[in-house]
Amino acid sequence: MRMIDRVRAGVQTLLHPDARVVGGLLCVAGLALVWLPHLWTGALGLELLAAAFWAWARAAQDRAEQLPRWTWLRRPALALWLAAAAQAAQAEAVSHGALPARLAVLLVWAQALGVVWAGLELLAALPLARPFSDRSGPLLAVGPWLPALLPSTGFVLLWRHVEHWTAVPEVRRVALILLIVTAVLATLRAFGRGRWVASLRWLIVADCVLASMLVALAVVPQEVSLMLWLAACGGRVALLAGELRAMAPRRMAASHLVWRLSGWISSICLSAPLLATLGFGPPGISSPWAAVPTAFAVALGAWVAIRRMVEAPERRAMVRRESAVSLSLVIAALTLATGPTALVMAWWAGFEFPWPLGLVAWLPAVGSGAIAWWLERHPISLSKASAEMARQREVARGLATVVFRAFMAVERRVVALLIRLGRGLLAPSRDLHTGDAQEYLLFLIGLSAVALFLPLLR
Amino acid sequence: MNASFALLIASSAAFAALLSGLLMLRLEQPGRAGIGPAGTLIALAAGIGLAPGASPSWTPLVVGVVVAALARDGDELLHGECALKLLWVMGSALALSWAGIELLSLATGTPYVREQWAVLSLGLEPTFLWSTALPLSLLIGVVLLGGAPFHFWLADVFQGVRPWLAPLAAATLQISGAVWLAARLDDVDQFPPGARLAWGLLRIAAWVAFVAGAATLMAQRRPERRVGTLASLNGALVLALIASGHGPDMRWLVHWASHLALALTGASTLARFLPVSTPAGLGAPILRRHPWITLAGLFSLFSLAGVPGTPGARVWLEVARALGSTGRPDLLIPLGFAWLIGLWKSVEQLREAFGAPGPARSTVRPVPAAARGSIAIAGLGLLGLAGLGWARLLPW
Repeated sequence: MRMIDRVRAGVQTLLHPDARVVGGLLCVAGLALVWLPHLWTGALGLELLAAAFWAWARAAQDRAEQLPRWTWLRRPALALWLAAAAQAAQAEAVSHGALPARLAVLLVWAQALGVVWAGLELLAALPLARPFSDRSGPLLAVGPWLPALLPSTGFVLLWRHVEHWTAVPEVRRVALILLIVTAVLATLRAFGRGRWVASLRWLIVADCVLASMLVALAVVPQEVSLMLWLAACGGRVALLAGELRAMAPRRMAASHLVWRLSGWISSICLSAPLLATLGFGPPGISSPWAAVPTAFAVALGAWVAIRRMVEAPERRAMVRRESAVSLSLVIAALTLATGPTALVMAWWAGFEFPWPLGLVAWLPAVGSGAIAWWLERHPISLSKASAEMARQREVARGLATVVFRAFMAVERRVVALLIRLGRGLLAPSRDLHTGDAQEYLLFLIGLSAVALFLPLLR
Repeated sequence: MNASFALLIASSAAFAALLSGLLMLRLEQPGRAGIGPAGTLIALAAGIGLAPGASPSWTPLVVGVVVAALARDGDELLHGECALKLLWVMGSALALSWAGIELLSLATGTPYVREQWAVLSLGLEPTFLWSTALPLSLLIGVVLLGGAPFHFWLADVFQGVRPWLAPLAAATLQISGAVWLAARLDDVDQFPPGARLAWGLLRIAAWVAFVAGAATLMAQRRPERRVGTLASLNGALVLALIASGHGPDMRWLVHWASHLALALTGASTLARFLPVSTPAGLGAPILRRHPWITLAGLFSLFSLAGVPGTPGARVWLEVARALGSTGRPDLLIPLGFAWLIGLWKSVEQLREAFGAPGPARSTVRPVPAAARGSIAIAGLGLLGLAGLGWARLLPW
């Protein structure tokens, strides 16, 4: 190829970039904006993230399926736009020297609701788009990994704008309830799914949800919450990426061990302060009723993370030469160290586990993980009952799936009922607006309304 | 802001809208373009340009010009239909409003609005008379602004009327409505019971206009009708502002009118070339064929919807602030709802302009140069308005 042709081809690529490139650029820009502290940058970031999914979906082979699947991503962006608009209105009112109390309350509520809606929907904590982690993303090569971006973004939003949504106690309380329900559902789904990659996606949702609960409780400094989330969720996101690269983290015994340990320890570090606060924290913050389902979710998550992550058999005739310390191993070691470091930072900042009851908070993750590990390490003693065990395992997974699906079915029915109700209420006005003659009728209705109002006003 | 500067801005916006209209008129068949239509455009643009000093007595004239322009061409069935609708709706509303004005004059003995408030403040007149007359006198203003349930005419005009006429006609009629309301309620706070009545009624009208407008926008699939409903929401902003007791002062009215004329011109011209919305998102990818022009048109559409960063956002924010400062911010809820739906639909329109790959044989309709010029002029005008705002050369 001549030089001029190469240049021309390069210019053509720049002018008409591939949908993958466009989506990637939009996605990176969106995620960068979400990290910024302003609400409007967050809203713009979510809008770009939604645009990235749309750009990938419209170029996909199965676009007819992918395009409607990711339409919901515009809802969180819209919710955050609402919050950003409320903040702008507040700033405008303050700059003009007048912020009446009722207006201030309304705007604070709007900001809280906007942020919480956006965060919770991305965390699969609202009944509208909950099962998105069950499906692959729209980009062929990294499709199974893409949905993991969304709960992570949800956490970042809730973490970054914590002062907005925790400012309204009612919003914070409802968000906490929804997060607990989601934690249980996500771990149930992770347990019920057969494929490790699918389970991993749901574990990421659960980690993000637990970290968001920690943010809502505000018992540890914000940086600590972020580090705990990074250790737990970041590790799993890296693990998922490794899974898509020929299951690299599970190929070697050492890597497999370190990844297992890092996942387990990160879960322990994330859940311990959360459960200690919920179960035995100061009055007004603790709620033992919430600690029980959370502990169940934590225990189930630790179980799935240990039991499902089995070593992958090496089937390649010629193993590719790799460095002695692979990148995957380095990431695993980093996540392994991050969780405990964050706990030390929390202790340094003044957080203390109640003694001796606080020890109970460690039990769900430690106990469940230890049992899972022990069972996995002692397969010989259980070999006689292996068939029975396999059957019981299937029954347990089936039960988890049934519970998840039943919950989803109820949710969907309620949402569908509400939508139908809304459409029913809007139908008459729409019918009035479809033809020419009816337009005049509409006008007459308007006049009648005025005529009706006049005597009342007198 | 002095009057001459306001006049300059309004005149520039009107001139840009006129130029766009004349360019679009070039696309008409030879028999349909000519001195008559061009004269109509000039008359309507003059209505926009003179908005700062407009008088409510011009309202019947504006309605008459628009109806006459629509009825002129017997072969244009949609024009005829729109003319009939406008005549029916606006004629009746005008008659009722005149009746209201006459009743007020009868009760107070003076046709001057400020004097009427002074006379009514004495409390000598029976309440039922003025409380019936005052709402009636406001009716044509609400109808012209296109607030629901009178929002249908705007969508009909944008869908049925030729592109050279629709934006200027709609903008001029809406501006007449705003001027009418502003003039009828001039200094009404001098008569507190009347102010309470008028603001209460307009508050209800604004509530209905925002909620019904947003609900309509959610259901609409044709881009032209969406532009019409967005225009109706911009009319509702005026209702909300007056209901807040702040009234549209000259500088606000100039900003609103200039923005409306430019944004409607750009958005409605582009809408003619956009696909009807489908669940699969398939459509003619105009954005890929004419990226800059489409973006200019979408900028107009975004500005109508108040997307942050556009000059329209400033209009929405100003109204929100005015509503908030009244101490009764309940009207902010429908306003926020309508704004969100507008934002949602605008971005959806952007996606539809880009389109998803359709069947292999689907073609992209080319956009004529005149239409591209028209969209570009409106887009540049809006950019200029935004630039002046960003440079803080405008007091809004």
